[in-house]
Amino acid sequence: MKIVAAKKILKVNDQLAAENRSQLDAAGVFAVNVVGSPGAGKTTLLEALFAQWKGRLRPAVIEGDIAGSIDAERMEKIGVPVVQINTDGACHLDANMVAAAGQELDLPTIDLLAIENVGNLVCTAGFDLGEHLRIVVLSTSEGDDKAVKYPAIFQGSHALVITKIDLLPHLNFDVARITADMKRLAPEAAVFQVSAIRGDGIPEVADWLAERCRKERRSENAVPR
Amino acid sequence: MHELSIAEALIDQVGQELDRVGQQGRVLRLELSIGRLSGVHGESVRFAFELLAPGTRVENAEIVIKEPKAVCHCHACEAQLEIDDLVIQCPRCTSSDISIEGGRELMLQSIEIED
Repeated sequence: MKIVAAKKILKVNDQLAAENRSQLDAAGVFAVNVVGSPGAGKTTLLEALFAQWKGRLRPAVIEGDIAGSIDAERMEKIGVPVVQINTDGACHLDANMVAAAGQELDLPTIDLLAIENVGNLVCTAGFDLGEHLRIVVLSTSEGDDKAVKYPAIFQGSHALVITKIDLLPHLNFDVARITADMKRLAPEAAVFQVSAIRGDGIPEVADWLAERCRKERRSENAVPR
Repeated sequence: MHELSIAEALIDQVGQELDRVGQQGRVLRLELSIGRLSGVHGESVRFAFELLAPGTRVENAEIVIKEPKAVCHCHACEAQLEIDDLVIQCPRCTSSDISIEGGRELMLQSIEIED
């Protein structure tokens, strides 16, 4: 006897992600999933953005790493509410982990929640965390062919932030090439170039995210700004 | 990518489906649909399933995997071409004005149980 199921095998993550998104919406929190290779500059980018947002909006961050609390300590140092997730070997965050971390945060007091994913351009593409927006961080030393090699993660992102542009004079990195590849995969995506240590391009990214945060927060509890 | 956790999720899901329809019979066969663009490797799912199935309700079940292709619709040259891998431009005319349909599914299609 045949039982017709026609069910998605991984529907559990999608369901949890949808629940996460509802909870974030209800609390007026705008959530951003930050993905990129290990060493791309995700944490450094976030540190620079948080400095720009001081007094403008109330941020918080969920840090995802396989082990350790190095990134959480950096966030504590700059005074941003942080929860560290240790995946103990899992190479990506999933909606279940983010739901658990979210319970440690006082969501109604947060405007923008950054979720820094595990360093990984492959597996992070397949797992909706409940975010409103996904940004992929790619450093100049990683090469300008990565959108072609890892299309899923670039296609699923709303913005590409190219980091470490201060290294361009020492590299054969073609900014026009990666920008064109990104636009082909995700025509609506924004592309930014930054150097976090010099400050180049950081205000533009901060403003863009702050504007998206303002536009997309919807909640009766949200304090209008 | 994560074929072991996919196999685990699959075994759980079969149990849930059997409970949903109130059936207890031995599971003979599972039909899966794993799209060519899903990023999931069918043979690795099969391998992981064989590791995890013993001792469960799906012990010794046969796994049948269909791998649907995606279709690339080109708005420039009107081509509709089946593709095995994600493309960023039309395979025929290289226009990037394309949309890709299907090929990403990861589905349990049916469960066959002993009568």
